[in-house]
Amino acid sequence: MTSAKISFRLIFSLFVTAFSIYLVFLLNPDGAPRILLNLFTFAGIYGLSAIGLNVHFGWTGLLNFGHASFMGVGAYVTLLLMPHAAGREGEVTTTGLPFFAALILGIGAAALFGLLLGLPAIRLRGDYLAIVTIAAAEIFRLLVRDLESITGGVYGIINYTENFQKYRPLFIDNFSENLGFSPSQAWVCLAAWVSIFITVLLLKRLSDSPWGRALRAVREDEDAVRAMGKNAVWLKLQSFMLGAGIAGLSGVLLAFNYGSLETTVFIPLLTFYVWAIMILGGVGTITGPIFGSIIFWVIISETDRLAYLLFENANGQQLAGVRFLLVGVLIMFLMIFRPSGLLGKKEELLLDVK
Amino acid sequence: MLDQLGNGLLLGIIISVASVALSLLYGVTRIVNFAHGEIIALGAIATLFFSSPLDYRVLFLDKFSPLGLNFVISCILAILVCGLFGGLLEVFLFRPLRKNDVGNIAVLVVTIGLSILVRHLYLLFATGKVQNFPLELQRRQTYLFFDMTPRNLNVLIIGIIVMIIVGLLLTYTRLGKAMRAVRDSGELSSVSGINSDNIILITWISSSMLAGLAGIFQATINDVRWNMGFLILLLIFAGTVLGGIGTSFGAMIGGLLIGIMVQVSVGLPFMEGHTEAKNAVALGVMILILLFRPQGIFGKKERIS
Repeated sequence: MTSAKISFRLIFSLFVTAFSIYLVFLLNPDGAPRILLNLFTFAGIYGLSAIGLNVHFGWTGLLNFGHASFMGVGAYVTLLLMPHAAGREGEVTTTGLPFFAALILGIGAAALFGLLLGLPAIRLRGDYLAIVTIAAAEIFRLLVRDLESITGGVYGIINYTENFQKYRPLFIDNFSENLGFSPSQAWVCLAAWVSIFITVLLLKRLSDSPWGRALRAVREDEDAVRAMGKNAVWLKLQSFMLGAGIAGLSGVLLAFNYGSLETTVFIPLLTFYVWAIMILGGVGTITGPIFGSIIFWVIISETDRLAYLLFENANGQQLAGVRFLLVGVLIMFLMIFRPSGLLGKKEELLLDVK
Repeated sequence: MLDQLGNGLLLGIIISVASVALSLLYGVTRIVNFAHGEIIALGAIATLFFSSPLDYRVLFLDKFSPLGLNFVISCILAILVCGLFGGLLEVFLFRPLRKNDVGNIAVLVVTIGLSILVRHLYLLFATGKVQNFPLELQRRQTYLFFDMTPRNLNVLIIGIIVMIIVGLLLTYTRLGKAMRAVRDSGELSSVSGINSDNIILITWISSSMLAGLAGIFQATINDVRWNMGFLILLLIFAGTVLGGIGTSFGAMIGGLLIGIMVQVSVGLPFMEGHTEAKNAVALGVMILILLFRPQGIFGKKERIS
């Protein structure tokens, strides 16, 4: 793989991304900045999650279909540790940790949950692991929904955004006022992209380190790793924890973007969204999911407009159906025709069960 | 408790039929088919379409009018539609993928995409609402120990008969032997004169027909929803895994056990007031089985790590 080839891919991806952003301006002559802010917030949060998934699947070859639960654990632990209101009656909890302490514990909990879910990975082959992870994610969601006294169940959690918004710097308010943004969403958006920046820097370092090379060696040939005296099991578990922690962070950001948290957010479709983004951006790359996420969200947010035109008398559920339908098509076609995505390298793709 | 056992048997027979179908397909093609649930839903939706009265316009976005056929004929037609759908999937999607040597994991991801696509096609073109088959209401009666409607008893009996027939076909016919041969080794069976492409096609068709039947059962006992297949899919995986992936008899028993487990767990003391979590119990059992006895109850021991 020559570096010229990689930079060609990078330029191409940048071009496609820029074009898709231009498309938003083209389709929304009036409210483009506001739509773009919404789009970039979601793109940042989901992109971060996809970066985490890429550590699992792209680097280590672990077939994780329970990614939504890592995001869920991060979000629920963080929110429940802070002052919030939960449940049908909106029971208020006034005491709690400050935001950053809760966030660190939330990410830690997500990583621990990753460790727990990673345990089956020691014993199971790829497709079995897919079933186990998706089932575990559903168990998590069903339990959260069931434990209403703690998590608020189907009624969810509210009144927690202030914990984070009180750190909002003043320049965001000024800036948002000029452009007609919602300042709180702008702050979440900034936080998401700063998180992506830091995560990418961290992963870049890790990727070139002996540890990162050992991880990819696990994907390629586990027996060879064992023969070299590395502990392949522990490497897999570490990978699970790292990716899950990143997903936990993105789950927290997602919760702050929504403003209220319900269990329905963490249905398996969330995992499939993140998968689509990861495949689109490039399996095994670090920056790929960022481009993938922006392009994905442009497609998603502009589909709604298209759906309105196609189905005049469709209801809201059916309109949302059009975008999911598109996600399905995207996953299928990418996997068939371009499994390495925009930036990925075909040689770095693990698609066969050993 | 006995009521729950009766409900458990009913859910069990649905899962059992669907698990056999999934297991058959996995055994022969090594495809973990996440779109299996959508074929189940197709069985129910097609039956609804064939059997609903002509003026039943809530359905299908006013674009298609239902046919108003006799219910039994509708069921048979719907099962044929499912078989056709499965056959088309194999010929136009999975056979080309196989010929291009696309890996198992890629195919798994493709089935997930397919499942999302088809499910939301149902939402758009079939039904966003919960629908029922156009059948009369029936009173529950007591059979032996179980309270159920005559129709649900029919489901149970038909389900058991179908299971027995499938078992006999797999064990004693040339086709069944050929399927098992392809399952054990595609290359060896090709060498001994079995056309493995044809066998895989027949497997897809029969697996889809069984899935369609399971969908009709599910809709008869409960209702028709656009996402009914996905709701039950994980339980089907659980049934398949519990019995031992790739073993048809294991899948039958495994599916039955999972169905009973789900419904009986509602009656356990510590589950009081937590009915939503009943599926979590079955899924938890599945994970434990995969961890400690990955070959399932009836599977042969092989390396699957």
